[in-house]
Amino acid sequence: MYINLRRKPLLSVIADDLSCGGTYTGKEAMGLLWSMRPVPGSREGLRLRKLNVCIPQLVNISVYSGHVGVGFREQDPLASVLTERWYMAPGVRRIDIKEKGVRGTLFIPHGPGPFPGLLDMWGGGGGLLEYRAALLASHGYASMALEYFNPAEVNTAELELNYFETAFNIVRDHPQVMSDRVGLFGLSLGSIVSISLAAWSSVVKPRCCVCISGNHTHARGGTIGDVFNEFITNVHKVRMDENNYEIWRGMGLPIPDDISQKVDVGKINCPILLVNGDDDQNWPTVESAEDMAQMMRAAGNEHLLTRLEYPDAGHLIEPPYSPHFRATKFLKDGQKVILLWGGTTKPHSDAQEDSWKKILAFLQQNMYSSSGPRAKL
Amino acid sequence: MLHCTEEPGMYSAHCGIIIMNFCHLQHKAQVPGGVHWTSSCRPAPLLTASPVCALIDDKISIRGHFLPPRCPVTVCAQMQSDDGDLWEAFAHFNTNLDGTVNLTRDPSVGGSYLGCEPMGLLWGLQPAPGAREGLRLRKKKVETPYVMLMSLLKGHVSPSERPSTELAAVTAERWYMAPGVRRIEIRQKGVVGTLFLPPGPGPFPAMLDLWGMGGGLVEYRSALFASRGYASFSLAYIGHKDLPGPQNRINVGDPYFKSAFQLLQDHPQVYPDRIGIIGLSFGVYLTLRLANHSDIKPSCLICINGPAGSTIKLRDADDRTEQMENDQKYWTYDDQGNVSFRAVSLPANLSPESKVKLEHLTCPLMYIVGEDDLSASSIENANLIEETLSATGKSQLFTRLSYPGAGHLIEPPYTPNSRVSLWSVKPQKLATLWGGHLAPHAAAQEDSWKKILEFMETNLRH
Repeated sequence: MYINLRRKPLLSVIADDLSCGGTYTGKEAMGLLWSMRPVPGSREGLRLRKLNVCIPQLVNISVYSGHVGVGFREQDPLASVLTERWYMAPGVRRIDIKEKGVRGTLFIPHGPGPFPGLLDMWGGGGGLLEYRAALLASHGYASMALEYFNPAEVNTAELELNYFETAFNIVRDHPQVMSDRVGLFGLSLGSIVSISLAAWSSVVKPRCCVCISGNHTHARGGTIGDVFNEFITNVHKVRMDENNYEIWRGMGLPIPDDISQKVDVGKINCPILLVNGDDDQNWPTVESAEDMAQMMRAAGNEHLLTRLEYPDAGHLIEPPYSPHFRATKFLKDGQKVILLWGGTTKPHSDAQEDSWKKILAFLQQNMYSSSGPRAKL
Repeated sequence: MLHCTEEPGMYSAHCGIIIMNFCHLQHKAQVPGGVHWTSSCRPAPLLTASPVCALIDDKISIRGHFLPPRCPVTVCAQMQSDDGDLWEAFAHFNTNLDGTVNLTRDPSVGGSYLGCEPMGLLWGLQPAPGAREGLRLRKKKVETPYVMLMSLLKGHVSPSERPSTELAAVTAERWYMAPGVRRIEIRQKGVVGTLFLPPGPGPFPAMLDLWGMGGGLVEYRSALFASRGYASFSLAYIGHKDLPGPQNRINVGDPYFKSAFQLLQDHPQVYPDRIGIIGLSFGVYLTLRLANHSDIKPSCLICINGPAGSTIKLRDADDRTEQMENDQKYWTYDDQGNVSFRAVSLPANLSPESKVKLEHLTCPLMYIVGEDDLSASSIENANLIEETLSATGKSQLFTRLSYPGAGHLIEPPYTPNSRVSLWSVKPQKLATLWGGHLAPHAAAQEDSWKKILEFMETNLRH
């Protein structure tokens, strides 16, 4: 159960009023949502993620008398209201995909179509997370959430780039998708895949790419497992913080000068949007973005690059108004560890809100607009 | 297949193709595995609605994007009633220079309504061609939403051409019940009704909700009050299987209505001294009559288009009343044989002893008049009430809202009005005139609802 603490003695319009204490302060219309955290006594390292996107997230919002900080379950509120928060708009269709060895879930917007399409990929935590794809479909993009890598499943480490090419083509070839308007959307390992496909694939021609908290520092060829293992071979560079949370960003430094150790981003010929937080403790994504910009400048395709960087935001930049997680559980070599993702709540939440707006504008510009793909926002 | 002739307002794309005419492109995307769009410069229209999930009285913003500039388009809405009838509305627009259409900004130049009406596609809904006659849109199952399919069509067309002209679509849900609102069936002490409670600990201020001679149990207005924070009790008094006696007569009297009010007062989640009463049509008479009892003290009364007296004698004890058919001498008919009940409630035709003694009124009373009411003599009754209160020095309790062009059925906003609808099927099919013209009636519903909620807030919360 998640709770919220907010100190306000009177019934009043929350959006306009200042909070003077609690899980957030100041005037924040959506603060009650993004500052939620596990109730005291919960298990450590939790992360709030919607698994069943066909039903809403129910948020109970209550007003209590006085400035209260603890013991919400023991007292009666003065008044409360229930809201539903949805990832899936009415009319969006959810389709299980299991073909040509590819596993995923496709979300199709309501309407005759055809629609621009997206291949949506999360990070090295693995599994099949549908909520962002459902949300993107609710904004008019036929989106497929792709299941690909799971550190706990040995066989998934054998996947190569052609798995993603096949997945991309499943979206591209769907009768309700515009074949020349399919993009890539990734976070973390998913961004790495996107950047690789955009630069190296002769089969896949993305219309544009959105890469959150990604990087380009891995060599060509090999399996996805190789990529992942490359990152974690520099285990001696892992530091621990005061809570024993693992900080992985050192493993990605320094950014190699040797171009053979990096994705040749000079070969990318579609607009690409990089979204990073400068307090990313999991990977040196800002440094990587800077290096990518230099490579693209040298290659003459820098006009395709847009960079968004957010102060004090961490690695997990997700759709807005969802709570921020500075550190959560992660399965590494079959062991549960807690990884430090970084970011402080307020700036991270601002980053999620602002980046999402800009991501949607970037997608609209490049996937819906008739004047052809444009790089800069 | 999507194809059409050249339209005025062609534009050049910036991608090397000299002239790209939106209308010349064809696609076969409906054929699985068929030919796909190949031109990368072809635009992709988008229709958005915000919010996609809302309460019935919430506004919705409908917009079309990525269209050619100054191009004719149609936006249409389709919805199925609980009875399975299809209702639809459509409006013709010409896109802006930037290729958008925005129903909050742009005027309709044809279709179900004209001019700039952001909510016109909702209150302009009509039964689709081929539908049954004499329909009236009323939500029976308040626990499910109305699902509205909105489409963007190419050109100035009618909804029947949707299959061949549809460019984009979006679905929106419209609810009477907010999340967390509880619906409780009440069958206690002979009282038949449905109680709606808002989410939260309570207690809540409350409303007793009364409808007209159409009978049955009408829940949707109560559900909406509960969604706005008021406990609300819809009460049945005629035409319900759980009520005693023949369904075409009122077989309950004063004790029944008092029991209903007391039931609300005694409810642990209701403030006993913050209860209002709302009545439409004959429900107005019942509202006034109930408030007249010295031991019933409502905080406010809302009366919509109804009489201050009755041609039917409502007994003090639960007893049979005279048949409604005696009213028939006051019925009038138009050329199509539709009946108007208007004259039944003319003050001169109301039995003198039934006229409620408003001199005893102690709480604020809001009376809402549809000036084109063809079912009740609302203007005359409003005048009667106002004069009575004035004469006893209580004019400060009276508020009148009067809407030109509005009919009898002034209901929550953004729902369509039926100027005439089926009233009875036996002994023969009879349709009754409610009155009201589409646009002014919609405006009346929107404005009066806002004022009803403000009136309730003033009298039930402060």
